[in-house]
Amino acid sequence: MHNFIALLQNENMKLSQRISTWIMYAILLVIILFGAVIEFFSESVTTTEVDDNWKEELRVETANLEEMNEEDEYMYGMFTDEIAINNYHIENDIKPLPYDAWQFTMENAGLSSMISLFTIIIAAGIIASEYRLGTIKLLLIRPISRTKILLSKYVTVLLFSMIMLLFLFISSMIIGSLFFGLNGLNPTIVQMSVDGPKETSIFGEIFTQYGLNMINLVMMATFAFMISSLFRNSGMAIGTSIFLMFTGTTVVAMLSNYEWAKYILFANTNLNQYMGNGVPVIEGMTLGFSIAIIAIYYIIFLVVSWLAFTKRDVAGA
Amino acid sequence: MNVAMELINVNKNIGKKHIIKDLNLSIHKGEVFGLLGPNGAGKTTTIRMMVGLMKMTSGDIQIEGHSIRKDYKNAVRHVGAIVENPEMYPFLSGWKNLKHYARMIPGITDERIHEVIQLVGLQKAIKEKAGRYSLGMRQRLGVAQALLHRPSILILDEPTNGLDPAGIREIRQYIRKLAEEEDVSVIVSSHLLSEIELMCDRIGIIKNGELLSVEDVKDSQDDEENTELSVTLNVSPLKEAMEIVSSFPIKSEGEHSITVKATREQIPDIIKSLVQADIQIYEVNVEKTSLEDKFFERIGENTIA
Ligand SMILES: Nc1ncnc2c1ncn2[C@@H]1O[C@H](COP(=O)(O)OP(=O)(O)OP(=O)(O)O)[C@@H](O)[C@H]1O
Ligand SMILES: [Mg+2]
Repeated sequence: MHNFIALLQNENMKLSQRISTWIMYAILLVIILFGAVIEFFSESVTTTEVDDNWKEELRVETANLEEMNEEDEYMYGMFTDEIAINNYHIENDIKPLPYDAWQFTMENAGLSSMISLFTIIIAAGIIASEYRLGTIKLLLIRPISRTKILLSKYVTVLLFSMIMLLFLFISSMIIGSLFFGLNGLNPTIVQMSVDGPKETSIFGEIFTQYGLNMINLVMMATFAFMISSLFRNSGMAIGTSIFLMFTGTTVVAMLSNYEWAKYILFANTNLNQYMGNGVPVIEGMTLGFSIAIIAIYYIIFLVVSWLAFTKRDVAGA
Repeated sequence: MNVAMELINVNKNIGKKHIIKDLNLSIHKGEVFGLLGPNGAGKTTTIRMMVGLMKMTSGDIQIEGHSIRKDYKNAVRHVGAIVENPEMYPFLSGWKNLKHYARMIPGITDERIHEVIQLVGLQKAIKEKAGRYSLGMRQRLGVAQALLHRPSILILDEPTNGLDPAGIREIRQYIRKLAEEEDVSVIVSSHLLSEIELMCDRIGIIKNGELLSVEDVKDSQDDEENTELSVTLNVSPLKEAMEIVSSFPIKSEGEHSITVKATREQIPDIIKSLVQADIQIYEVNVEKTSLEDKFFERIGENTIA
């Protein structure tokens, strides 16, 4: 255990001494700021206090939406959820809250794909760069098993993604508060669920969203890690992982007529399909099925990484 | 004699290629052993197997009595090494590079790190990023890294590669110092005899993955009386001179010179008989044949198989 912590220290030292790591944080921060500015000047967002007349205003708005929802040939059916949510507000006398840091943070859960990208880059490099630099030869001639060294690298990748997610959450909250203010410590929000609109804690909602995105992130990072271990080349690991990340869901959508498509990883990684009023990509898929498929892929990725790293000669590096 | 490392019938195949063939070798405690061979002879492959980077196809390597195959951790604990080039993390300072490897073995204090920095003379540059180091400095950082845990065997693959003569001399000096003062066994590889001859106690000659012979360096230097020397005579006329020295084995002929093999005792006689025959002698050059010749006798042309 002592030397495992030492290994983690080493990996984190190597990460934090590289400028590229800090550039990733800077990019994320700039994107969050940029999003806040856009949101701030956008008209569809109410940041001012809602007045006592809100029910009347909401009724008018809902009526407009209903009209579009039924008559506009392009937007037909698009607003069904929003109308239901508005009606729920009116019926239950829940005053809509103005846009604030919590909602900003919740929307920024989508930025976790940015974090996936960064984590893929880190995962791809953490093994491959030792080979590229030739330092692998000095790393592996210590009285520590290769398994332990590999594990320390993998844990470092996971830690990196957690810290990045935390960074996304905290900076979204801070920037959100500065731009839009904060509606208390744990406001509620009305969201669609399996049985219609429901009032839920926004904090819980954020937690769920970030958590669900985490699955995709970890799977892609582990995939990149495997390719990096297998081919000892970070370019290839980054290339294949990002390619799959962007095309995966599209490919699944194209193949969704075939029954076997449900065994493709990307048909399963988005667990949002089982949340709220989501619809599974392929009929008959269940949450349990998806979790099992994800687990199987995950184990395969790790075993392949391990075999490639521990069983092969270090030659010609 | 105490054995620090033993190679027993070591074989390595990669694909269909038989790269190392039945290598048997013992490295004694406190000796400097040279692994000499042309490019592609299998020196690096042998060293990679010694430190467990490559698995051998058959045979075993015992380090301080521990098999590198079966008891990797206890075997490798006694080894410090640089395999091929001294590659460091360029974005870390020299200090952090050392700290990195120090963390991987329990019991290495900061004082010990300072000690090895002192030993290789890198005090001034240790805070600088290793990416800015010259090759000589990286070589020293590599040696420092290899010495951190007080190994009993130090393995340096081509330590003189790319160094200038002053750098080579320096390496030679502290390799000798380590062997003599700290009783460390040192294995150095090279494809140039001249670069390691002066630091080694014994030299193993390897070609095409086979160990051809192991020569004792001291022997061939101490035994002055009977050492064969190459005597190069720059004389005129060459033809007559050749007849006079025809009783000696001729090594080579030049345009104005001839080289024969002779012992130290025989040199005055050769000169006397040339003078008596009225032959003009412009130059007499005497060189030890010793290892250099043995080396070339053994490996023949320096070809890559
Ligand atoms: N990964 C590999 N796959 C196939 N052949 C290899 C591999 N590594 C080494 N070889 C072959 O093994 C032989 C020995 O190579 P090695 O690197 O050990 O030589 P060397 O004595 O260190 O040479 P040099 O002086 O050039 O460093 C060479 O013929 C080389 O082509
Ligand atoms: Mg070599």
